Amino acid sequence: MEKIIEIVFSGFYTGAIYALIALGFVLIFKSTGILNFAQGELCMIGAFICYNFATLFNWPYLLSFMTAVAIGVLVGVLIDILIFRRMVGEPIYSTIMMTIGLASILTSVTGLIWGHDFFSIRSPFMGRTTALAGMVFSRAALWTLGVSIVLFALFILFFRKARLGVALRGTAEDADAAGLMGINVKKMHMVAWALGSFVAVVAGIFLAEQSFVYSGMRHTGIKAMSAAILGGLDSIGGAIIGGFVVGIVESFAASYLSGLEIGSFHFGDVKDVIAFAIMIVVLMIRPYGIFGKEKVERV
Amino acid sequence: MGTFKVNYRQDTALFQTLWVKVWLGILVVLLIVSPIFLSRYQISILNEMGIAVIGALGLNLLTGFTGQISLCHGSFLAIGAYTSALLTSKLGIPFWLSFPLSGLMAAALGMIVAVPSLRLKGLYLALGTLAFGFIVEYVIFHWGLTKGDMGMAVRRISIYKFAFRTEKQHFYLITGFAAIAVISAKNIARSKIGRSFVAIRDRDIAAEAMGIPLAKYKVMAFAVSSFYAGVAGCLMAHYQKWIVPGNFDLSVSIAYIAMIIMGGLGTILGSVLGAILITGIPHGIVYLVDIFKESYPGLSGFIVDFKLGLFGLVIVLALLFEPKGLFGIYWRAKIYFKTWPFKY
Repeated sequence: MEKIIEIVFSGFYTGAIYALIALGFVLIFKSTGILNFAQGELCMIGAFICYNFATLFNWPYLLSFMTAVAIGVLVGVLIDILIFRRMVGEPIYSTIMMTIGLASILTSVTGLIWGHDFFSIRSPFMGRTTALAGMVFSRAALWTLGVSIVLFALFILFFRKARLGVALRGTAEDADAAGLMGINVKKMHMVAWALGSFVAVVAGIFLAEQSFVYSGMRHTGIKAMSAAILGGLDSIGGAIIGGFVVGIVESFAASYLSGLEIGSFHFGDVKDVIAFAIMIVVLMIRPYGIFGKEKVERV
Repeated sequence: MGTFKVNYRQDTALFQTLWVKVWLGILVVLLIVSPIFLSRYQISILNEMGIAVIGALGLNLLTGFTGQISLCHGSFLAIGAYTSALLTSKLGIPFWLSFPLSGLMAAALGMIVAVPSLRLKGLYLALGTLAFGFIVEYVIFHWGLTKGDMGMAVRRISIYKFAFRTEKQHFYLITGFAAIAVISAKNIARSKIGRSFVAIRDRDIAAEAMGIPLAKYKVMAFAVSSFYAGVAGCLMAHYQKWIVPGNFDLSVSIAYIAMIIMGGLGTILGSVLGAILITGIPHGIVYLVDIFKESYPGLSGFIVDFKLGLFGLVIVLALLFEPKGLFGIYWRAKIYFKTWPFKY
């Protein structure tokens, strides 16, 4: 029993990070129609910036966190202004290729500035634990879960109540009509990119808490894509639930399947591939995700 | 001035005008004599380009002509490479047999991928193929037979008693195969099959309504494309003589997509130009770094990041400013000279 609770908890921990990244995918896709393959790279950049301030410059953790988030949002806005403002309505392979090109640029810039070693952020909850109901939890995990749940609640409220949130939803629904109703569509796209990179940076910093700050962090972005697909690429609630589901499934697979051997095939680290298996299954059964809307096409 | 086509046969001719024949003849002669003047390193670059041309043609038939986005072209290369490597080393099958078999194996797996992909379109197809690519990489990594990260040694190419040893011999073989690949791709493109592919790309539902069996041609496009990839992978494995799963990861699939986008989607010439460009860029960067190495000795440590960054920058800038690719530039230049001194 205790083992199961442990697995579920670690699943929730990873799942929260997946959900944050998936939320970024959904935020950007919903309003601009672009699936951002550079989401993982934005996470990585955020974590590296936070590391730069917290560890190298010895700034207080909260301040470096905020600075990283601010710079990340700025990067998102710049990406929109410089590149994707001109790409709205382009064919899908162009936008996919564009985000992939962007991802290589971000990776290379990170490599040029910080190198390819493993670093860790000097944080107040490094290695600390909390005992809860006779079980020991790492404090980083509790903070990650707490902060991301608060963020999810805020986002859902934002899209329900706030004027800007409603405007964003309107743009996502029908950009032309929204423009005619007096919503600044370009500004909404910029806000979507800013919000997308905001959640990516937060996810990146928490991800760094789980392991290290290194350039391989970016692969988590592609794994989180399966969470976004599972929930539906145009559903915010779906991304959050999808993230947690993928996290938990991955956690169970990692503890029960890893190290198995069938014939000459040894499973090794199943964690790396289970997200993609989920993605294929979802795409075969329900391509538009659990909560997504099926698109009806005109001939 | 212009070329006038008075019947349908001229429109679908393999060589449209006399000049095309002349230029192609010059190109063939150049290719035959070039190894005499080039160094071993330069010939090895040409070999890499030849293999890339075959792979890029396959992807262009699928993505450029049929409009099905695939992010797993690298894994079809892997399937071809490992099939041929296993067949020649474990079963002792000669190269002339393992070469088509590796293509057929890749084509069979391509058809398996195609069947579930019939339901998926655009973005979702890209994601499905992406996931498939990761799973193939995982299987190769963890299967005892393929030796995972340790890599596999591959036998050199030998046909009957003749073994291919030098870069030059490889050059003639690879370029020959690349030429056959170009001609057959052109033939596919100008026949009924190619026209069906294009119809599916332009509006698939309408194509089906016009009487083109959608499922058949989509599966066929996947099969042809993966056959090309498998054959290219087989050549690559035997040429490098050593393969590891890292040779065929996501970055390879991305490089192939970059080739066809840079070159020009839906054109045969575009795939060739794109393959040459994208394979050439890393070598160009190495060349530049070599020049500046003496004045800035620290430079070579950054070369990997430079390569990646420049690759990304080329893609981003090309998509922003020249979305039709090299073929578009070539076309504009041709029109400019054809109508000179008039503007249009």
